[in-house]
Amino acid sequence: MAGIEISEITKIFPGEVTALSELDLSIEDGEFFALLGPSGCGKTTLLRTIAGLEPATSGSLDIGDRDVTSLPPGDRNVAMVFQDYALYPHMTVRDNIAYPLKVQKVGREARYGEAEKAGSSLSLDGLMDRRPGQLSGGQQQRVAVARAVACRPDVFLFDEPLSNLDAQLRLEARGFLKQLQKDLGTTTVYVTHDQGEALALADRMAVMDHGVIRQVGTPTELFHRPANVFVAGFIGSTPMNLIPGVLGDGNVRFDGGVLPLNGRGDTGGEVFYGIRPEYITIGDVGDISGTVAITENLGAQFLVTVDVAGQLIRAVVAEGSEPATGDTATVNPDPDRVLVYDRESGELTPGAGYH
Amino acid sequence: MTGKGTDRRRRSSGGDLVTRGGAATIVAPAAAVVAVFLVFPALWTLYLGLTNRGLTGINAANPQFVGLENYTTALSDPALWNSLQVTFIFVSGSAIVGQAVLGFTLAWVFRNWQSWVRRALELLVVVAWIVPSSVVAFLWVAFLDGESGTLNAILGIETEWLLRHPLLSVIVFNTWRGTAFSMLLFGAALNSLPPSYLETSRLAGASPLQQLFDIILPSIKGYIITNLLLISLWTFNDFSPYLITGGGPAGATEVLPIYIYNESIRFGELGFGSAISAIMLVINLLIALSYLRAGRSRS
Ligand SMILES: Nc1ncnc2c1ncn2[C@@H]1O[C@H](COP(=O)(O)OP(=O)(O)O)[C@@H](O)[C@H]1O
Ligand SMILES: [Mg+2]
Repeated sequence: MAGIEISEITKIFPGEVTALSELDLSIEDGEFFALLGPSGCGKTTLLRTIAGLEPATSGSLDIGDRDVTSLPPGDRNVAMVFQDYALYPHMTVRDNIAYPLKVQKVGREARYGEAEKAGSSLSLDGLMDRRPGQLSGGQQQRVAVARAVACRPDVFLFDEPLSNLDAQLRLEARGFLKQLQKDLGTTTVYVTHDQGEALALADRMAVMDHGVIRQVGTPTELFHRPANVFVAGFIGSTPMNLIPGVLGDGNVRFDGGVLPLNGRGDTGGEVFYGIRPEYITIGDVGDISGTVAITENLGAQFLVTVDVAGQLIRAVVAEGSEPATGDTATVNPDPDRVLVYDRESGELTPGAGYH
Repeated sequence: MTGKGTDRRRRSSGGDLVTRGGAATIVAPAAAVVAVFLVFPALWTLYLGLTNRGLTGINAANPQFVGLENYTTALSDPALWNSLQVTFIFVSGSAIVGQAVLGFTLAWVFRNWQSWVRRALELLVVVAWIVPSSVVAFLWVAFLDGESGTLNAILGIETEWLLRHPLLSVIVFNTWRGTAFSMLLFGAALNSLPPSYLETSRLAGASPLQQLFDIILPSIKGYIITNLLLISLWTFNDFSPYLITGGGPAGATEVLPIYIYNESIRFGELGFGSAISAIMLVINLLIALSYLRAGRSRS
């Protein structure tokens, strides 16, 4: 069993591309940890550095109580599931799953037994004699996971393993990955650019941007108290409203009116007034009113965008209660849910908001 | 189910863009070209092989039908068996071991090099490949010459390479000339392998040799078979050793094409040469079929 300690890891690719910049991160033993961030932010590079497939330019990396910074990938006892699954087309499913064990010189009987067990835990019975080419995408994905499971590594590394599946399968696969990880209790690092996936799967997660980590915490912490506007804009199926305004006495003023705030006495700073669309109600009475610009059907809910003096404010309302486009409507944020960000630094200011 | 059925019926009943007759019209010119340039000469060769036609003289004007006599003569001619043996060594030595193994090794060694270095090397190798055989042959004769050859100058010895090691010399010559093709083909094959294949095996702790035999060679098996098929057929039918040794000394480098040339053109036995050509045609077919079979057994 093993946690992961990453200290001041920097990775510079030839051509002066800094993919990771003095990054610190500690992942606990047995944790399901998600790395979330936009494309190109360095998630894959970090994962490959943990695996040893990319040597770090500087910094150190411990897995369990071993310093593995300079160990080759084969000595780190980690297993990785790639985005393209990397199944060998010339081997049967059984041989694919057993391959890492074969390399580790496990006898034929024993390794086929392990393969059978791992395959079984991923509902692959009956497919063991097929070639990868004869499997569906979802089945291939499970074979790749089974191969990682069979060699009982200290750490699982997943690089966007669900991104090649259709939405329905992705949901299913998400469920069994979570269950499997819980059953095995193996430390897992899971890379994704899909915030929903990260929120759903992770015990804890980190949001990355340009080779640095912008925030680490549980999904709940990151959803409710994003530490900066980058995280605020990245997490949540509909991005948080960030309304530029000036901090007044217990409120935030902007062109369209005065936005309510609880428990803030300081005044005068230029801020973003941050409020999730889910915590805004739309009505007929209130101080802030505008014209409904767009309504979007989300199924059981509607996303309503209201134009208030040129500032677009989004709100999520229950189906049936949505106004029509062009209507006049008022916007009423829940003052208990408001987060205030410094406009210059983009960082969360202490005081207000949900705890 | 029914949808599929009607679909198939519609396709075969000629509801497509082109009817069967129309398709025949379209391929007819190509078929005619194939017939004129491939099938007809082959049949003509088979026919000639059954006659005693000569290049000049009375047998040229008035060839007689001799049945299978040419074949029985050929099969009892030690020179043919010598030629077959030489050809076998030439093909396995220069095509399979030389070009394929060396080409793969080079592709493997260069695979991780910077792309511009690789491209420069490839360019160099391709130049070696596209220089005409006659020029290359002349260069090699000069290189291997006993008195003033470059090789002897480098080694500081005096060996008549073409007399003492004639077969080895033409094998090295043909290897040098053809390795570029294999290297490029294998280079492309290695590039087509997803990096995650090798990374998965590295994570399991596989050594480079294990990666080679477990992953790389099986994954590019199709490329390997295609390459071996092409280069063994090319080498089997290659006449260019003649440019270096003329087939000698004493038949030591007399590969099958040279044997046929000597019999038909130099000794004027056109009928006899045609019979050997027919045998050669059959061997070509056997080579092709065996590779195609090996390719099919893969899936
Ligand atoms: N082998 C490489 N050589 C040069 N630059 C690379 C290489 N791999 C990744 N990069 C660069 O490093 C940055 C991070 O890439 P990556 O880790 O793949 O991002 P992500 O997985 O978050 O999309 C990108 O700017 C990318 O272009
Ligand atoms: Mg990536």
